[in-house]
Amino acid sequence: MEDLDTLIQGAAQAHGHLCPGQVVGVRMAMLGCELIGLDQPRELPQIKQLIVYVEMDRCATDAIAFVTGVKLGRRSLKFIDNGIMAATFVNLATGKAFRIASTEESRDLAGKYAPHIEDKRQQQLEAYKVMDLDDLFTVQEVRVDVPASDMPGPTRFKAVCQKCGAVVRDKKEVMKNNQILCRPCAFGSYFEPLSPQDNQKDTTHV
Amino acid sequence: MCKTQKRHTFKTIPVEDAVGTVVPHDMTEIIPGKSKGPVFKRGQKITAGDVCRLQRMGKNNLYVLDLKEGQVHEDDAVFELASALAGPGVSFSNNPGEGKLELRADHQGLLKVNVDALTQFNMIDDVMCAGIHNNTPVEKGDSLGATRAIPVVIDREYLDQAVAVARENYPIFSVHTYNPLKIRVAIVGNEVFDGLIQDKFEDIVREKAEALGGIIEEVEILPDNLEIIRDKVTDYLNKDTDLIITTGGMSVDPDDVTREGIEAAGFDEVNYSSAVLPGAMFLLGYTEKTAIMGLPACGLYHRRTIFDLILPRVMAGERPGKLDLARLSHGGLCLNCKPCRYPHCSFGKA
Repeated sequence: MEDLDTLIQGAAQAHGHLCPGQVVGVRMAMLGCELIGLDQPRELPQIKQLIVYVEMDRCATDAIAFVTGVKLGRRSLKFIDNGIMAATFVNLATGKAFRIASTEESRDLAGKYAPHIEDKRQQQLEAYKVMDLDDLFTVQEVRVDVPASDMPGPTRFKAVCQKCGAVVRDKKEVMKNNQILCRPCAFGSYFEPLSPQDNQKDTTHV
Repeated sequence: MCKTQKRHTFKTIPVEDAVGTVVPHDMTEIIPGKSKGPVFKRGQKITAGDVCRLQRMGKNNLYVLDLKEGQVHEDDAVFELASALAGPGVSFSNNPGEGKLELRADHQGLLKVNVDALTQFNMIDDVMCAGIHNNTPVEKGDSLGATRAIPVVIDREYLDQAVAVARENYPIFSVHTYNPLKIRVAIVGNEVFDGLIQDKFEDIVREKAEALGGIIEEVEILPDNLEIIRDKVTDYLNKDTDLIITTGGMSVDPDDVTREGIEAAGFDEVNYSSAVLPGAMFLLGYTEKTAIMGLPACGLYHRRTIFDLILPRVMAGERPGKLDLARLSHGGLCLNCKPCRYPHCSFGKA
């Protein structure tokens, strides 16, 4: 694996800017990979052995993805929307898994590690590079039993929504009122379809 | 009739000569009263230090699996079996253990098992699947069943037959989501209406309904008066109500008029009495869009009653009728265990 500075530079480039989250993410990913015994996670064969569960969609997530090479589209990156700065690194070959969470205390400790820097953001950024891992993270060995339907690889499970006809992959369909449904049909969705009248209204605003 | 199994003949080697070869299948060590689990996993390389342990496990010879066309290793076979058995809301691990895969609930809901199809599946040679009971309310992660191929290597013919049975009857295992029903409650009883005693039923109903995602829209305390009960139920029916729950007044005393009040409000179907104890004097009825349950007062004392058996089914969109209530007779007796382990007991497992 490349050194910290190289990885931070690469992560910042991939993410679009350098920020404390990039540093936290890079260090979290380096530690995670080390704990589960992977030193070249972006290359074969290790790229096939790794799944990372991230618990936030913030800067650090991109840094973790950069360092480890995991991707949503490869199903090696799993997003669990907990709003917690934490990630779990799973070695599929050995079953080893560790959950690493960023500590809140690390924010307060930034001044101790980089007292010469006044700007808070810059101070955190530099402090996180050198902070003791014990101050920066809490680490927990865990067991993650990855369901067969969450595994990378070709689609193995498909169902058809009995209401709208959408093909639902990877066992994400639900049984509601004795019908096999897609989640939008069963529970509603984040979008609201526009009616022709709505479209007309929009046009009149232009 | 007994199952007839073709026994495969594979080459074997003595364990002492097996150093450097790989374990052909998960091997289980049982230490009585202490542990049971796979101590050798398929694909693991056998070292000199493993030989003694294998011998202590009673393994003096190991298979050298040289699979021929039409033969499937148990770990590969079990994926096909689990994939065919697991319907919506049911998942299984990517890692078989000892050739088995456990079916688990993906989310809270009502487990439905196609019992006839499961029996048919188990009539196929060389496969098995064991499950928990149909109509069990389950939580995310609960174990629902487990399946495996019986031999280490199964014939493709049997595997295909089993998968075909599961696919033709899909889904054999499924977890039905609960609907967030809008619920209105009428607490009936002169003693609570007059303030002689404090009502305890609301908390019980609320806790059980909300645990399944029900929404309590309204609760009212009523006297044992047929007309007042009728009017309140009618009022609830005229509102946007999925489920009406009444409590009390379901017994045989002259003051008990809840049943008459409900019937007077006008329902398409009313079933009074169930073959369940506690809960014999239960009422279950329907209009086109609203269900009604009349809970007898036993629900105040007994932790689990007929209400716990029927509520999940109604929340899952079912409309159990007279036959369903009668079928509950087999398993309908609560043993009042201390502590209560429901739903992990025989209560309601028809």
